[in-house]
Amino acid sequence: MKHLLTAMCFLCASAAGFAQAKVIPLDKSPLDVCYFPENFPMLKIQGKAAGPLLARLIYSRPSKGDRIVFGELIAYGKLWRLGANEATEIEFFQNVKIGSYKLKKGRYTVYTIPEANKWTVIFNKENDTWGSFGYDPKKDVAKITVPVQTISDSVEIFTISLDKISSGFNMNISWDNTKVNLPIYLQ
Amino acid sequence: MYQLQKLSCFFLISCCSTIWMAGCVNKEQEAINSGAKDADSLSLLSGKNPYSSIDQSPMDVSYYPEGYPQIKMAMPQQTAGPVARVIYSRPHKKGRIIFSHSENSLCKYGQPWRFGANESTEIEFYEPVVINNKNLSAGRYVLYCIPQEDRWVLVVNSNLHSWGLHVDPDQDITRIELPVQEQKPALEDFTMVFKPAYYGADLIIAWDSIKVILPINFSKS
Repeated sequence: MKHLLTAMCFLCASAAGFAQAKVIPLDKSPLDVCYFPENFPMLKIQGKAAGPLLARLIYSRPSKGDRIVFGELIAYGKLWRLGANEATEIEFFQNVKIGSYKLKKGRYTVYTIPEANKWTVIFNKENDTWGSFGYDPKKDVAKITVPVQTISDSVEIFTISLDKISSGFNMNISWDNTKVNLPIYLQ
Repeated sequence: MYQLQKLSCFFLISCCSTIWMAGCVNKEQEAINSGAKDADSLSLLSGKNPYSSIDQSPMDVSYYPEGYPQIKMAMPQQTAGPVARVIYSRPHKKGRIIFSHSENSLCKYGQPWRFGANESTEIEFYEPVVINNKNLSAGRYVLYCIPQEDRWVLVVNSNLHSWGLHVDPDQDITRIELPVQEQKPALEDFTMVFKPAYYGADLIIAWDSIKVILPINFSKS
């Protein structure tokens, strides 16, 4: 009941109160960042960074809750922003190779088309976008299909990490019982 | 008319998500009120994640124009590029004293503060701007401040991609004194937003019952 009252107050406030000072609540799917090398800012201030920052990914992290994620919340065969809110962005601080595609250093938007056994991961040149509403395939710079792995321990919060491999890093994407690895090679 | 429909659709989505988030904030407040420890309230809210938990002070982004990515999606043909964005972390007040002379306050007067938590706060300009009569070229900068009771010294610095704050005045680009103003209503969450101004935009930096406003000059197109 208390929740309902709060919700009603918010509804009234948002309908009538645009002229008042706006208090922006924290998002349910907060923004987060990951780096390659992992934890670069911390390594940098400790003087332990072996080299320069090579990649940074910024994304929003929805929670699974009681929902079934892939195939229900996120439909198979449809474009997904890889998170929530603003589309996920990755910045490369040097040139990279993904599959057969060579990408120049710079910032890209990442989308995916998930399916039950494979995902298509898309890198696109249109930055600062919301959701996948403005997706323009003409601005794609790489489109790679990777296999889906099933993990036994369900991941509650959508997670991306950039993990070291030989000559580059893996973009590891996990949520619910699904995991996808995309290798990215430094040029 | 089509654009109008799209905009109304966005309005409806915003209202719905506000209601959804209201429940979330309320739940968090209950966790705090019940005296749950930080780690407990975190797992209560978001479950356990074997890879990487959600931070207590989550990251957020603000654009100028405000809500730029949504505006661009609603009106792709008519939207020029963004002018600025700030990426920062948002700690909660949680009943603590934030700004004061006391050693017990979170941000003691006279001590440099990174604006938020975790990584140092980053501001990016997509075009040249002027701050404090200093020309800044397009690009990224770090922002931090030295809070005092009645004024803050805000610093634009170039030591990017660092954690916390290592004050290195050699990398300072400009320092500007800003008067402290009253913030009503008081804010539980640390907040940075851009608002339009006749000379360009203001960056409003607000937490608890105070705010400071950083004027940013650029030519309006």
